Amino acid sequence: MGASITVEYVKKALPSGLIKWSSIGLIVGLALVIFSATMDMQRLAFSSLLGYMFVMSIAMGALFFIALDHITGSIWSTPFRRIAEILTNAIWLAPIMAAPILYNIFLEMGGHGMFDMYHWTHDAVVAADPFLSQKAPYLNESSFIFRTVLIWVLMIIFKFILVGNSYKQDKTFNHKTNKVNAAFSAIFMAVFAVSITLTAIDFMMSLEPHWFSTIFGIYYFAGTFACIVAMITLIAVNFNEKGLMIEGINKDHYYSLGGWMFAFTTFWMYIAFSQFMLIWYANIPEETFWYMPRMEGTWAYLSIALIFIKFLVPFGLSIQRPSKTNPKRLKLVAMWIIGAHIYDIWWVSYPTYSHLKETHSPFFGWQELGFVLFAISAVFFVFAIAAKNKNIVPIGDAKMERAINFHL
Amino acid sequence: MHTETKDYDNDLRIARPIVEGKRTLKQIDDAIIAPLDRLPNIKFWIAISFTLTLLMVGAIALGLSFYYGTGLWGNNNPVGWALPIVNFVFWVGIGHAGTLISAILFLLRQRWRNGIARFAEAMTIFAVITALIFPIIHTGRPWVAAVYLLPYPNQHSLWVNFTSPLLWDVFAVSTYFTVSFVFWYVGLIPDFAVLRDRATGKIKKLLYSVFSLGWRFSNRHWKHYEMMYLILAGMATPLVLSVHTIVSFDFAVSILPGWHTTIFPPYFVAGAIFSGFAMVQNSLVIIRKIFDMEDLIPISTLELMNKIILLTGMMVGYAYTMEFFIAWYSGNQPETFAFVNRAFGPYAWAYWIMFSCNVFIPQLFWFKKVRRNLFLMFIIAVFVNVGMWFERFVITVTSLSRDFLPSSWAYYTPTITDFAILIGSFGLFFTLVLIFVRVLPAIAIAEIKAVTEQGQPSHTHLHIGNGKSNEAH
Amino acid sequence: MIKENLYAISALFDTPDSIMKAADNISTEYKRFDVNTPYPVHGMDDAMKLTPSRIGYFTISIGLFCMSFMLYFMYWSNSVDYPQVIGGKPFFAFPAYVPIMFEITILTGAVLSVAMMISVLFKFPNNAHPLHDSGYMKAVSSDKYGIYVEAKDSNFDYSKLEKQFKELGASSVSPIYYDEEEVDWKPNTWDPKFVIGTIGIAILTSFSVYMHMNKVLFMVPFDWMMNQERADYGETSEFFADGYSMRVAPVGTIARGFIPYQYDSPDSASKYMTNPTVASEHNLELGQRKFLTYCSPCHGNMAEGASRLKGNMPPGPDLRTEFYQNFTDGRFYHTITKGKGIMAGYESQITREERWAIINYIRTLQKAFGTPVVKTEEEIAENSETKTEASE
Repeated sequence: MGASITVEYVKKALPSGLIKWSSIGLIVGLALVIFSATMDMQRLAFSSLLGYMFVMSIAMGALFFIALDHITGSIWSTPFRRIAEILTNAIWLAPIMAAPILYNIFLEMGGHGMFDMYHWTHDAVVAADPFLSQKAPYLNESSFIFRTVLIWVLMIIFKFILVGNSYKQDKTFNHKTNKVNAAFSAIFMAVFAVSITLTAIDFMMSLEPHWFSTIFGIYYFAGTFACIVAMITLIAVNFNEKGLMIEGINKDHYYSLGGWMFAFTTFWMYIAFSQFMLIWYANIPEETFWYMPRMEGTWAYLSIALIFIKFLVPFGLSIQRPSKTNPKRLKLVAMWIIGAHIYDIWWVSYPTYSHLKETHSPFFGWQELGFVLFAISAVFFVFAIAAKNKNIVPIGDAKMERAINFHL
Repeated sequence: MHTETKDYDNDLRIARPIVEGKRTLKQIDDAIIAPLDRLPNIKFWIAISFTLTLLMVGAIALGLSFYYGTGLWGNNNPVGWALPIVNFVFWVGIGHAGTLISAILFLLRQRWRNGIARFAEAMTIFAVITALIFPIIHTGRPWVAAVYLLPYPNQHSLWVNFTSPLLWDVFAVSTYFTVSFVFWYVGLIPDFAVLRDRATGKIKKLLYSVFSLGWRFSNRHWKHYEMMYLILAGMATPLVLSVHTIVSFDFAVSILPGWHTTIFPPYFVAGAIFSGFAMVQNSLVIIRKIFDMEDLIPISTLELMNKIILLTGMMVGYAYTMEFFIAWYSGNQPETFAFVNRAFGPYAWAYWIMFSCNVFIPQLFWFKKVRRNLFLMFIIAVFVNVGMWFERFVITVTSLSRDFLPSSWAYYTPTITDFAILIGSFGLFFTLVLIFVRVLPAIAIAEIKAVTEQGQPSHTHLHIGNGKSNEAH
Repeated sequence: MIKENLYAISALFDTPDSIMKAADNISTEYKRFDVNTPYPVHGMDDAMKLTPSRIGYFTISIGLFCMSFMLYFMYWSNSVDYPQVIGGKPFFAFPAYVPIMFEITILTGAVLSVAMMISVLFKFPNNAHPLHDSGYMKAVSSDKYGIYVEAKDSNFDYSKLEKQFKELGASSVSPIYYDEEEVDWKPNTWDPKFVIGTIGIAILTSFSVYMHMNKVLFMVPFDWMMNQERADYGETSEFFADGYSMRVAPVGTIARGFIPYQYDSPDSASKYMTNPTVASEHNLELGQRKFLTYCSPCHGNMAEGASRLKGNMPPGPDLRTEFYQNFTDGRFYHTITKGKGIMAGYESQITREERWAIINYIRTLQKAFGTPVVKTEEEIAENSETKTEASE
């Protein structure tokens, strides 16, 4: 408990497989994306929504994880904070992922949209629809683009503050940095709450511009946090097995990671059930129409599958105590949750695509797979590039010594 | 060894000890059990006579209500749900902080909760008892309430309506009470055994023996006991969420503007924890003064609670904003009207009391000076309680008082009986709290002992000795 | 004597580390031993070589079992035993059952697990254990860490254990004896104290239930539902001048659901009444059922006028003839209501709706069989038999 830093850490080279496989995935994904762009821009835009919402989950979720670590002063999460810090670089991918959507909305401003995606972008439709014209001050092309870019800028600013300070701390070992970051984290929380809500409303809820649900931002947040913890777990467990993490990561750290994944899987179900139950029970047409297409035909089975994929399977896989400390099980659950989050985004957004195609059958093909592959590989690729010259644990952090001695 | 000069607040390298100052295990026993052994001091008598007076006011009002009927209350068309449900939701909410402290913070390994967990659990139980009074008296004939509320076989094949949120409430609140009570009692068993082994009087010893069930501190028992405690905490956590969620369903499943909004479940839970923490903080500030427990409930614990009040206050603020935004965004005219009416209609005064008490005033907790000032934090927490009571009032009354037909609109005013019952509920709650601190150890002895500095064996033994050791604890 | 009453040898230690070491050491050699600590010491299960608690499996199984039962019960009571449409929800409204299913899972899982733990795993309440009231117990409940080995252990050797404990750093070593009472005591159902206590509780319970059900609930204010401020029949009224509480109904009052029949001749009925019902499938089924019950004994199953009454009554006419085809619905209705000739009126047996249904049914029969030619009796009998079979 001396004043000097006693944490021992040696920076090791990243596993070669990470950059190799992520760049292969990136190239294959990009090829598929370009191919799909030449065929059907509308479908590309919808599939890019999967990529964008996933990337935003990683970027914003990582910042949230960092802020939570600073605010609560929790010690179990400190060794993993650097992974989250490196993952915040995913924010640079956001413009690429959102490009097809934003480009189309930009064209819609002049009234020459290439394809139909957001109903409220068509001026003629809005003028004829009293509800849409009432919402026009919020749902219009310029403010949509403005909000999206503003959120990116805000995230980047906070990324530079919180993550930058932490990088500096690796060299300075200045303990005051923790206090500074904690103060900024508190401000970030408010920014985060608004940003994630508006992202969810703009990109996913406004696909059906008549539909509204006050819980929607929290719905997306629940998935986001499960996803980011899963991402951190996946990387941390792999790195720890290869000896890249610091000495002292023990089962109690794993247990905490597993516990958070478990908790937020359950929390998502709670939020999703609350939203569904209230709308089902009140049975007002202006709300139920969102659930109707999801409860008919093939979509009905896919909706039931959502309960299993997003809740029952990860819940069952990690309810036992030993399963939360078993590295193999943790990796499986983590990958499953990331996949389930993308499935959830797909389930929320794709019925609109089916509707636009005037059919009840769902769409999931190589276009979507290609974009998802592109997005996931891009996140890992960016992570690998950014992690190259960085320590994998925040060795300068004041809590570090306690963190590696952490026991439940 | 640590000395008092350590700056735990500014130096994150060192962990704050849970029990400040160095005490032997025996001294911990003595300090915690002291209020049970000595005669109460004058402060206690003043406090309890005050709370008993409040209780009497409520009891008289209730007696009059039973005798003359519920016409004494202000409830009337169109505001049929008024103060009774407001008070019910308020008190159930108060209880939630107790479970949060005892269960959720236990799962999150926030060790500072050990000092106040027992007290918070007791508060949960008393708050739920207080809350239960309201729906039961609201049935009109409380002595046969069980017949209306529970499914029991009868010759008419009449079953309760399982699709009604009010019935979910019956199950949720009774489950909540039972599980909280069991959780509390399980925690008390080892402490009863401590009391039993210290007791000198024959009756005391008999009573403690009965309640301790013959606990022997056997490690073969601790093994199951610890697992059970963890499971109970794990079950109480979703339970506490579900209870206020179901309370929010009472409102949200209906199609009344201002009630039917999907954010209600998490919003109610956040609000419950918010007000509950304010109430726990208020009570702790009083209790540590009355029973001279300043060192067992350190100010740093209160400061952490103030941070949670700040956080949950902002969550509640988020929900207020979201509701307003979506009311406008939905383009639904009755919905928009309901919210504009809330903020600028005849009940605007209540709305702005609620908004300022819940969102603006807790912002003072951003300042460390305020968070650590006993007087200021007490005042702010009182404001939060007032604000949260008004939140339920605003939700219930503003929506109901503006019915769909303007001809049915009416302005609801609670009567003096309504207020007297509310005052009585405070009296009941605080009387129970004061009696509890007198007759049972207000701090979990075994839990506190387990987190003292020398309480646990050095971990080296644990890890080198057996690789699988982590599975066990 | 002391030898026989020896329960165990116990040792007290001062620090958690030393008790861990002692437990580790003792557990290699002895089976019947236990460690008593004022709070759970981390890692003790491993030192004592205990398996982890599996109580969680019990919790989850009992919780899920009770949840399934509750789901079945809600399904049965709300959609089988007394189905009711409430709020436009289906009888089996699964999303609305989820909250209660969840609560029941938690309730039963928590309460039954604790009950199981206390009664089965701990065998509590047990205040008669030899450890109770010993100095050892008083020490471990406060600030010492104790370990004891039972005399029943196959490797038990007092002096050897005493030495072993001392070597491990015990601060004190002491024997624990059974109380005389504990050794001799046998549970006895007919123990007078127990019997008197049981009877006392039974009497007290019965008395309070009796008082509650028969006295308290008939006292003010609980009896207000019974003793309302209303006028009973036969009571003298202070309000009405004639002093009667029971009032004569105003002229023209009719009872709910009873519309008086207002035609006195078949002609006026025929003239003013039309059939208000539609010959739907449901309506015709009702008509058939009522026709077969009330009309067929005289008019025959197919309205062909074949009486089953074997000459005890004259057979009713064949209703399929052209004469009856020309009857208006109103005329039929009047006949059914008031009777005709030897036929009695069925006003009190057949409701209005049923009467119209019967008429619809007769019309159907008329359409189906048309105006009959004169048939031999065998033909009629054969016809009615086959048709009856078909209708069955």
